[in-house]
Amino acid sequence: MKRKDIILHLISEISGYLLEENPMRLVISLHQEKDGLHLSVMDDNEHTDEEIAKMEKDLNRPKRPELSGYYGAMTGQDLLGSSRLNLLGWQVKHADVARTSGGIKIDLWLGGDKFDSERFNIPEK
Amino acid sequence: MERQNKFLLVLLIIIMLSFIVLGLITDGPGGALKGFIQIQVHSGRLISDFIPIGGIGGTLINASLAGAVGLFIIVILKVQLSGPTYAAIFTIMGFGFFGKTPLNILPILFGVYLSSKVAGKMFREYIIIALFGTALGPLVSFMVFEFGFTGVTAVAAGILAGTITGFLLPAIAVSMLHLHQGYNLYNMGLSCGFFALFAASLVRAAGHQFESTMVWYSGESPVVIWLVPVLSIGLIIIGLVSEKMKSIKEFINIQKIPGRLPSDFMDMASLGGALINSGLIGIAGSIYIFLVRGDFNGAMIAGLLTIMGFGAFGTHLKNSWSIVLGVVMSTLLFGWELSSPGPLLAALFGTTLAPLAGQFGILTGIIAGFIHLIMVMQTGAWQGGMNLYNNGFAGGLTAAIIVAVIQWYSSSKEDFS
Repeated sequence: MKRKDIILHLISEISGYLLEENPMRLVISLHQEKDGLHLSVMDDNEHTDEEIAKMEKDLNRPKRPELSGYYGAMTGQDLLGSSRLNLLGWQVKHADVARTSGGIKIDLWLGGDKFDSERFNIPEK
Repeated sequence: MERQNKFLLVLLIIIMLSFIVLGLITDGPGGALKGFIQIQVHSGRLISDFIPIGGIGGTLINASLAGAVGLFIIVILKVQLSGPTYAAIFTIMGFGFFGKTPLNILPILFGVYLSSKVAGKMFREYIIIALFGTALGPLVSFMVFEFGFTGVTAVAAGILAGTITGFLLPAIAVSMLHLHQGYNLYNMGLSCGFFALFAASLVRAAGHQFESTMVWYSGESPVVIWLVPVLSIGLIIIGLVSEKMKSIKEFINIQKIPGRLPSDFMDMASLGGALINSGLIGIAGSIYIFLVRGDFNGAMIAGLLTIMGFGAFGTHLKNSWSIVLGVVMSTLLFGWELSSPGPLLAALFGTTLAPLAGQFGILTGIIAGFIHLIMVMQTGAWQGGMNLYNNGFAGGLTAAIIVAVIQWYSSSKEDFS
């Protein structure tokens, strides 16, 4: 899939997920490098700790190439039914979900084999 | 995950070996081998129950070896054994009673492999497509044994046809997903059916007419009747023993999952819960066949093993009963027998539409089952019987129309006014 298509699908899926709660503000930020990208999405809705934990779990699923290579095509195409973060989780290098003063911030890092996390500030655990 | 991988690998190998041993005992080694060979040279188009063709022993060996081919590929590619691959192996084994052979699936697998190379992907990214794409195995056998070629030409034609088929399947499969948005579990059935429409049209254009095929075992062999119930009970016991109370809790949690593709119950719930679900679905399906006085045969085993496989990947009791009810209502309304082949297969395989019921409720499930039966009674002939997942094809069409209506209705209200 072309990079532009991947980005569009990621943005669509994660935005669709947050838009289900009808936020008043939704901010999307993209940082691209040659071998990867960092996508950050923020909203202004309250989310419970359980919800945040579930989001982080779904977005940090073990990689499943047998699923992402096929069903991943549905990412960002959820016209009917709930958005599914695990579709994203199989495809991203790392995801982080954090509470902000007014809502939450979701960070997604995506890249190929030469992806250098140093350039994208993936938080150290 | 690694523990689950090893557990499932051992479980599947034990099931396959059990089938082989049972086959050798039932018909003796000589009889079973002879029957196995007879199956390899049959076209396998719908409806071809392999039991009258190759005997029970030969059919069991065929099913086991077909499944072994799939399992071997999964293992060497280091693909995770979980819901989708469990479903794929059970489906291949099931259809080893009803159209697939270890030989007729190979060209399709190879074609998908080639497709992955051209697309710059690893084969493991297309493995689900490859495994379920073996639904078109009869297309390969048809070219070799029925189209009219002989000798090496026939074999080459079959290999070429299967390879081209496999090569095109990934493109079709991804497109078809968008049509029903994951509400038809047997997406490869829709994809293979869509492809088979073109293939069958090409064959007819070349002057060949498909002869109607109906090979249906109506005997009452205890082996055939009890194979699935015993396997189902075994899976339930294994699920309970492996995780004890957790498996029951997770089985209950599975019933709350809508089941839309891709819902890996082993990942979303647990291995034990999924095995219990799988076993109970096998029991429920067997009871249904018994209640409607249907025949236990190769086709039914294919249906039962398939729905058991998808008991780890989208189907559960709560999201499938309304589909079956819809099929039953449609059958009775239009004057068909519940025990006749078409409605019987539709009742089992119609659960491909279980996610619709899981997501949108009982009424949608009943409507889906109702429409599904009407469609599936027609679609087999469209594709010359070459797509074994005919119910997946009809189910995909049914899901597409229902999804279209629901989507239109849900988006028709103005948000900005």
